[in-house]
Amino acid sequence: MISALFSMMHHEIQLTRRQAFAWLTPLLFFVMVVCLFPLTVGPDDALLHKMAPGIIWVAALLAIIISLSNLFRQDAEEGYLDLLLLSPYPLTLLVLCKITSHWILYCFPLIFITPLLGLSLHLPAHEIGILMLTLLLGTPVLILLGAIGAALLVGIRGHGLLLPVLIMPLYIPVLIFGTNAAVAASLHQSINSQFAILGALLLLNLGFAPLFTGIALRMGVNQ
Amino acid sequence: MLTLHNLAFERNQYKVFNPVNANLKKGEVLQIRGDNGSGKSTLLRLLTGLLEPHHGAILWENQSIAGQKDYYQQQLQYIGHQNGIKSYLTVFENLTLQSVLAAKPTTPAAIHLILEKINLKHAMHTQAFYLSAGQLRRLSLAKLLLYSTPLWILDEPTTALDWEGQQFLMTLLTDHLSQGGMAVVATHQSLPLTGNTLQVERTHD
Repeated sequence: MISALFSMMHHEIQLTRRQAFAWLTPLLFFVMVVCLFPLTVGPDDALLHKMAPGIIWVAALLAIIISLSNLFRQDAEEGYLDLLLLSPYPLTLLVLCKITSHWILYCFPLIFITPLLGLSLHLPAHEIGILMLTLLLGTPVLILLGAIGAALLVGIRGHGLLLPVLIMPLYIPVLIFGTNAAVAASLHQSINSQFAILGALLLLNLGFAPLFTGIALRMGVNQ
Repeated sequence: MLTLHNLAFERNQYKVFNPVNANLKKGEVLQIRGDNGSGKSTLLRLLTGLLEPHHGAILWENQSIAGQKDYYQQQLQYIGHQNGIKSYLTVFENLTLQSVLAAKPTTPAAIHLILEKINLKHAMHTQAFYLSAGQLRRLSLAKLLLYSTPLWILDEPTTALDWEGQQFLMTLLTDHLSQGGMAVVATHQSLPLTGNTLQVERTHD
């Protein structure tokens, strides 16, 4: 069973990598949005430094929302969701595999490129490190929550901007604690509580989100 | 044995088709006929358990499938309109993934053999995106050779197939039935196989 799940993830990653445009668009969007700020705010180092965690988090959040529209749309169109639903493996686990490969493909590059963007926003090295850690804990939560939204909309054609409207409210806690940790780090305050809450959010969503996503997929196909 | 008892499905409170009754025994095929839009595909999806009927019941071995869905769904293979084939995976990878998802692991050698049978060996490492409609249909039928189940549910399996492909499908079906298998096939042309024909009619409101 474990090997089956790994094989599925391997195939997921393969087929997404082959669609370079769809795959790299969210990442390029992330880089571009962040780069716009030094250009428009001006060469005010202190101001950029202060704004940096917020800018990077908001840009990452928007990039992830863009990526989520790819999560189940193609699967539904190709009839691949039927295979998942008919599989003897628990749907929750299959969904978790899909979410994990989505996270690896879309969020890993995003986290890796953050140091470069952090430098352009005059963030010192240790704050970049903290920011990357918050992204490492926070982005899976965003994907997990977003998967529920994407699954709910799977049976609806042309939903366009409904997905961001639907899931944005759920993203607010992650955004607050993610940026707050980076800001606290710049003020040399303790960041344990923020990380504890981000970790708790991750565990909570890891437990529930795949289950709800599975239920939403079954409902979406059932029409 | 598969029994359809007064089966009906509603969409927006309207019945999609008039309630149907049918019986399918071992070694038989149930051919489903009907005009375009009469609800054949909906009926087949009901039979897979992906859709829940609003009226009536589907019985597998004299028990409602509602209470034994996991078991029942392992007894069937469903090939719908959309093939469930990922366009960005190669032919070989698609078959591997399908066997993995069905929890029926297979060997590369077995897949090579199947690809030879469906005449797609030369396109083994081509992404499904580049295949023609007929080749895609062949690839989706290859699933029937990957692992064996007692019940096949096929939605217009002859669509886009050339003559040779249709002969191949007939051989597959005949072999399956002679081994005691069952098949439900939605089709516009009558297949020369034993079994009943079920006419699906759109409800007139």
